[in-house]
Amino acid sequence: MATEKNYYTIDPEGKLTCMKCRVKLVKGKAKFMYLDNGFPVELPVCPKCGFVYVPEELALGKVLSVEKALEDK
Amino acid sequence: MIIEERQSTHVYRQKRLFTKEELEARESLCVHEQPAYCNAACPLKLDTKALTAAIAAGDFNKALALYEKITPFPHILSAGCEAPCEGRCKLCSLGEGIAIRELEAAAVSYGESPRKRGLLRKKTKKAVIFGLDLFSLFLAGELAKKMYPVTVYCAESDQDSLIRAAVPNLPARVQETVAADLKKIDIQFEYSADPVASYTGAAKKYDLICASYEVAKALYPGLEIDEAVMVCREHNLITGKTEGVLGAAFGAKKAALSADRLAQKLDPSNTRGEEGSVETRLYTNLDGVEPSSRIPCDSRDNAIAEASRCIQCKCDECIKGCAYLQHYNKFPRILTREIYNNVSIIMGDHMMNKPINACSLCGQCSVLCPNGYDMAEICKLARENMVYTGKMSLAPHEFALMDMVFSNDEAFLCRPQPGFDNCKYVFFPGCQATAIAPATVRAAYLDLCSRLEGGVALMLGCCGAICDWAGRYEMYEDTVKFLDEKLESLGNPTVIAGCPTCKKQLSRHKTLGIWEVLENIGLPEKAKRTDKPIAIHDACGARGDSATQDSIRRIAESLGCVVEDTPYSGDKSPCCGYGGLTQFTNREVAKKMTDKCLERSELPYLSYCMACRDRFAREGRESMHLLELVYGTSADHCPDISAKRYNRLGLKNELLEKVWNEEVNAVELGFTLEYTPEAELMMDDRMILKTDVIRVLQNLRQTGEAILDEETGLTVTRARLGNVTFWVKFTETETGYLVHRAYSHRMTIQPR
Repeated sequence: MATEKNYYTIDPEGKLTCMKCRVKLVKGKAKFMYLDNGFPVELPVCPKCGFVYVPEELALGKVLSVEKALEDK
Repeated sequence: MIIEERQSTHVYRQKRLFTKEELEARESLCVHEQPAYCNAACPLKLDTKALTAAIAAGDFNKALALYEKITPFPHILSAGCEAPCEGRCKLCSLGEGIAIRELEAAAVSYGESPRKRGLLRKKTKKAVIFGLDLFSLFLAGELAKKMYPVTVYCAESDQDSLIRAAVPNLPARVQETVAADLKKIDIQFEYSADPVASYTGAAKKYDLICASYEVAKALYPGLEIDEAVMVCREHNLITGKTEGVLGAAFGAKKAALSADRLAQKLDPSNTRGEEGSVETRLYTNLDGVEPSSRIPCDSRDNAIAEASRCIQCKCDECIKGCAYLQHYNKFPRILTREIYNNVSIIMGDHMMNKPINACSLCGQCSVLCPNGYDMAEICKLARENMVYTGKMSLAPHEFALMDMVFSNDEAFLCRPQPGFDNCKYVFFPGCQATAIAPATVRAAYLDLCSRLEGGVALMLGCCGAICDWAGRYEMYEDTVKFLDEKLESLGNPTVIAGCPTCKKQLSRHKTLGIWEVLENIGLPEKAKRTDKPIAIHDACGARGDSATQDSIRRIAESLGCVVEDTPYSGDKSPCCGYGGLTQFTNREVAKKMTDKCLERSELPYLSYCMACRDRFAREGRESMHLLELVYGTSADHCPDISAKRYNRLGLKNELLEKVWNEEVNAVELGFTLEYTPEAELMMDDRMILKTDVIRVLQNLRQTGEAILDEETGLTVTRARLGNVTFWVKFTETETGYLVHRAYSHRMTIQPR
């Protein structure tokens, strides 16, 4: 089976805890969507409630640059 | 309220910005690319500006290279050219024009031709010229430059006599130098030949037959020559009658082009392009140019000095005054074409979105341009077009638009003066005045109420300029309707605008500026007198409104201000960087706009638009609004984006309580909220409001959704508010939260 493409991967390495479910976040599959374009990624996700954590560096870095590129499409 | 984001990047809707004719009509207004006066006068199209610039820089080799482009015999031309360019020099209107012919001669004397010549292959078609005069000598040179093998049948016995015959009127030293020119050119001379007699036998060996005028006349008495192409069509003979050195050189150029066409078996008139001297529409501003006299070009240094007098005529009136055009370093014609192309793109990157959104729409260009070129209108039409086709992202304008929604919703106030059902006036201070100087607005309103008869209503809100600037035409129509209905409910009073942009936007109603009212009723007693020298910054909203500009000056002077006149004042005033939403779409350009305003004077700035006042203060300049002086009140010092909203809401609530005796219920959050200084700065920079943070934390309290980062010890939570996801990093306090950081993104994220 072909490997599924991921645009970005972050492993929480057990340093993040979901306050609602009281469990550690794990590396999980998530998807960014913007202006009808989807980007599969692997981010820290709560295995119980599905809360996806977008770190500040990612939001102001890669995410922002992709947003700006799509806005000019 | 949420403003809807564009649907998808895959919607391919298109609407032309202009018809081809309209585009060309707009572009033709820009004369930046028109030839300089000297260049236009030269039938050989010498790039005179580049030549003088090269000499002024001491680069005689480059100057010679430019000159050799237009003639194979630079010595002959520079010695004998009648130089129609000199009379057209712009400096003639002040003093003496540039000695262009002398500079050409200096280029020929002091410049060196490059040794290497291009390795062009000789053409297969062969040319012949019968008889020698100046025209046919130039023609031989032109044909040789075009790589035709050229043979000249002439009566002269050797080169010296040939040169003397061709250029009899030129000094002997020039004649000597022609020999040097001839050495560089590959021309075969058949000396001591009778050109007329040789014609019959020799002509058929060649493809292109040329003759001097005398020989042509002898061959075909009564021949008819098409002077435009220098061809006798009946005999397929390239010839013509010319006068003077320049006439011969130009005639030879036209004849050589005809030779090209004939070699291709085409009509000589075919696709020749523009030939000869032309009329130019260039505009050159001579302000600041001093009259000067010619310097004889008798030495290298003197030639450099003479060339340095050249002012390099060009029109960049708009660019000189506009930080936006300077930033993109494009003159309006090219910018218009690129914007037009950008709007026409169906798929792919819209590289000009940023420039389209960075223009302040202030209209300064239309005043500075001698032909009234209006980039503001083009940029605004492009924004509206892209909003219509769904290609304009909401992102650059959303914050400003949401701010407008706030002004006309939560912070909106419309009340008649207590005791009046219908009012004669309504005070409309504008969204920036209420955001930046609420105390001044309050003082102004109370003053107007106390001194004007017939009742003064109050309307706190936005005039619609924000959505108009953003190109959101539907939102603008809604805003106009909303405001008109509110004004109607007050009995359609005369609007007293506190801001020149509001005055312009609301001009569909009877509108006065507060400055006009104050001049009429007199200044209040507590007006703050000063004897300070100040510079007045005219608001772009008052462009074309000399009554407002004059009124402001009279009031300032009556308050004791010593008004310094600055360049680019009045109708020529640049935008502070707020107009057109530049402050939101392109901070770098907006800052350059502010700097451009401030570079005109070192003095404190007095303005009559609160946005200008605020932007100047942020750059560290002492800055005040006219109404601050009039009412002796101070605006807030550089309020951040949240403070600007609190100010508007606070003013509304305060006036409701104090003027209309209405009870305002304060909203209890149920928790306390503090911010680290770093968080406050970060939020202002990232355009995150304190109200956004409150909503995110309220969401946390409802859902309990948050993440603890063990590395930093901070808890982080998020909420999707409209088109943006906001993240807040905080620690809990005894009564609430301490916010450490905040950030946002527009993408949505979900598990899969």
